[in-house]
Amino acid sequence: MPPERSGIADYSAHLLPALAERLDVVVARRRRRPPRADVALYHVGNNPDAHGWIVDALRKRPGVVVLHDFVLHHLVAGLTIGRRDGHGYLDAMEREGGVVGRLLGHGVLDKRIPPLWESRPEDFHLAGEVLDLATGLIVHSRHVEERARAAGYEGPIWRIPHPAWEHAPVAPAEIGGSPLIGSFGNVNASKRIPQLLEAFGRLRRDRPDARLLLVGAVSPGFDLERRLQRLGLSGEGITREAYVEEDRLWALMAACDVCVNLRSPTMGETSGSVIRLLSLGKPVVVSDVGWFAELPDEVALKIPIDAHETESLYAALELLARDDGARTAMSSAARELVRREHDLGRTAELYVAALEQAAGGEAVADAVLGDVSRAATDVGIEPGSPEAAELARRLAEVELGR
Amino acid sequence: MRVAVCAPQVPFVRGGAEIFADTLVDELRGRDHEAELVTVPFKWYPGTRVLDQAFLWRLLDLTESDGRPIDLVVATKFPSYCVRHPNKRVWVLHQFRQAYELDRTDLGQFSEEPADRALRRSVQRLDRVALGEAKRLFATSRNVADRIERSTGLAAEVMPHPPQELPYRNDGYGDFVLSVNRLDRAKRIDLLLEAAALDPGLRVVVTGEGPDRERLEGIARDRGLNGRVEFTGRIDESELASLYARCLAVYYAPVDEDFGMVPYEAFLSEKPVLTTSDAGGPLEVVTDGETGLVTAPDATELARAAGRLREHPEEARTFGQAGREIAARVTWDACIDRLLA
Repeated sequence: MPPERSGIADYSAHLLPALAERLDVVVARRRRRPPRADVALYHVGNNPDAHGWIVDALRKRPGVVVLHDFVLHHLVAGLTIGRRDGHGYLDAMEREGGVVGRLLGHGVLDKRIPPLWESRPEDFHLAGEVLDLATGLIVHSRHVEERARAAGYEGPIWRIPHPAWEHAPVAPAEIGGSPLIGSFGNVNASKRIPQLLEAFGRLRRDRPDARLLLVGAVSPGFDLERRLQRLGLSGEGITREAYVEEDRLWALMAACDVCVNLRSPTMGETSGSVIRLLSLGKPVVVSDVGWFAELPDEVALKIPIDAHETESLYAALELLARDDGARTAMSSAARELVRREHDLGRTAELYVAALEQAAGGEAVADAVLGDVSRAATDVGIEPGSPEAAELARRLAEVELGR
Repeated sequence: MRVAVCAPQVPFVRGGAEIFADTLVDELRGRDHEAELVTVPFKWYPGTRVLDQAFLWRLLDLTESDGRPIDLVVATKFPSYCVRHPNKRVWVLHQFRQAYELDRTDLGQFSEEPADRALRRSVQRLDRVALGEAKRLFATSRNVADRIERSTGLAAEVMPHPPQELPYRNDGYGDFVLSVNRLDRAKRIDLLLEAAALDPGLRVVVTGEGPDRERLEGIARDRGLNGRVEFTGRIDESELASLYARCLAVYYAPVDEDFGMVPYEAFLSEKPVLTTSDAGGPLEVVTDGETGLVTAPDATELARAAGRLREHPEEARTFGQAGREIAARVTWDACIDRLLA
């Protein structure tokens, strides 16, 4: 929760009042005794500083996990190496990657290879322990649901869209540019900023009035200035703002004609920025990965991560710069999508449904299975027989089985 | 075409849903289809019995009968639409309303215990799966279709069904308001009795049977309505047609009703309908000042509306005739064409 600065903290603070209207909710706090409740809900992301204590609490009492990122390598590294528990890290790596994983873990501990949470996070998600402890999962995307199933998770999974923010009409910030292209979020390689700068540089050669608004902190080691100089964009056509408060963020977003939100690799996350942009009816250009790939084609142009990425990105920006009709159509489709899928009340209702099932579902399943198996036994259906298997199949079809 | 019409059966209870299923079978047969009614007894309490009984439908094999294929099934009401068939059509009269809009009301069934809350969600999940399998999904009213969409995300086509066949006629506008309904708290017949208590000129005839009868008779007694309220019990079709023909207006104001055939039956006798603004489905055909009068769910307002029709029978006639035009458009020919298409 705020004042921690993270997308998940914003998300939790946004959702909490809507949940509290529908359920009795007690917020667990760091270093406090966990409250009594029918069901415990844990928001887990990949940041050990923000979520380490939440995993500690989950270990003490399993419950429903909101898996905001699927790749938890950085979190696990913080919970193990960060606590001087190298063996814990090796065990986590071995669990997922076998002997090879353990050996690679040794390489990390001995500083012989770069940290895997930076170099190969997709190959070693290290979500296993959290999945083991989760009595149910809430995810935001099919991508994370499929990855959890592929990792062997067999419990219930509820896919609940990220809620949109309701905001008062906002006056656009006064920034020139025709078109004005916005990028919101950290400025680094995994957000594909190098590719964006190249594509924008090319666009600007054809459209000298185009402007790129880069909002967000520059990540350590990413030399933005040098890249701008090399592309001839230094001082030309670029507007920079670092971290901005919420009101300013909305005003900047409102000023944009088109917004770009790229990334690779993805940790399975959803973007709060993209949700905000869609709610403003902004056409967005995203990478064709993870949750982003699941956005309807009507609201987002999707850029594959391949050898032609920059070329594809340029083509997308050029299309949106020249085609007012396409922008208008994407804008209205985005607003409709947010109204239909990302309404806060709808999200809260889906949470309530999930939590009610999590709290009482076992008792319901026990009762139904008990009744059915008693009736089956009464008419001579033996456990393990084809008839019993048929019963189990039918129960599973209507989600009454286990 | 061989068609199995699936409907649950609550032993010793007969109402609009049962009449509808029987009539659908008859109408299909009348159009040279082989049609059969398939029923399974339904008891929805206590605890998880509602799921056990729904699951019974899942075990039925209606793909063929006696070695010959059944071409399609038409399921009507929860839980009959849990049946499996490669060509399942569902014409939804009711979901299990206790799991939806009746939850946390006097008419609800599920407590605040975690197991009961989860049970309610299991019913909703069951609906999502079972209705999602339908090759075509119809709802008897916009109210039902909207509820299906809200609860399952599925889009249902709105298709009202015609009312039962009766010798409908109009013998004028008498001095009584008629209630045609099962005597059940959700049908809110007590509101009409309270209105009668406020208006000494209002006479009421209440038809039907049900678990609320004793309470309703108690209200009539306590309010001194003896002589002005008549409980007929269950009556035959010709008596019902006669009451429709002679009444001033028909009262029909259940709580958020899904559909209800009664307004259509009233209209076919050219009678206006008195209803309330929270009645749900009936409001799709009962328009205030056009086909009847719509009041707040309040006895004083209802008494005033009944008094207005009594003093202005020409209005009752105008509203009833406008209603007849609406009812005449709902035919079995049109419904069955859509259902089997």
